[in-house]
Amino acid sequence: MNTHPYLRAYLAGIFVPTLVLPLILAGFITVRLVLALPIPIERIIIFPMAVVPTIFGLWNMLYLWSHVRTNLPIGVHGAILPFLGAPIGALVASCLGFLQITGQGIIWFHILHVPYALLAAIFLAAVAGYYLVWKYIVGSLNRVMGIA
Amino acid sequence: MNAHDENRIKHLLRQALPPVEAEAKPAPEPSIDLWPAVLRRLDTQPAEQPRLNWVWFDWALLAGVLAVTVAFPASIPMLLYYL
Repeated sequence: MNTHPYLRAYLAGIFVPTLVLPLILAGFITVRLVLALPIPIERIIIFPMAVVPTIFGLWNMLYLWSHVRTNLPIGVHGAILPFLGAPIGALVASCLGFLQITGQGIIWFHILHVPYALLAAIFLAAVAGYYLVWKYIVGSLNRVMGIA
Repeated sequence: MNAHDENRIKHLLRQALPPVEAEAKPAPEPSIDLWPAVLRRLDTQPAEQPRLNWVWFDWALLAGVLAVTVAFPASIPMLLYYL
């Protein structure tokens, strides 16, 4: 069971976003088709589908590599990820044209106006959510895979 | 098997098997202090399972995340975008 630990870390890392992605896709399709909101789903889905699972897998591989040196709890390690992922996601969204930055805040998906104060609260919620996901889901998966 | 063969086998067995007294001797003292290596190994052990006094903190975090999503539903698609 000690073979290919980094491959197992990658697989454990991509588990959560891969599991959640169909639900996100169903939600966005429902919003677009049922509620008839003009959301560019084919551009939005690029980041959650292609980038987020890869980042999760690589981040878990980094955890496996660095844990013996830093002894950082996996929850804290996961909570650091939004500081890297949020700018990348915003950059992708901005380049693909569904994130506009204005003086009062940002506009997501052409319909959601988010003031900067609320953006800070959402970011903190993302950090807390990532902490919990990594501590309880990715951590338990790492134990199942025999790499914790 | 004659007496000569018997003596030869006895001699070979004594050569192959060390005397019991030699095993009973205490092990020699190691040349270096092993205690720092033990401490280093203990430091590299996996972290303990979350203790009970940290569970309330995780519940508080979960409540905070839920509060943000309920108070500001616009945050839901943004959070899902990053998951």
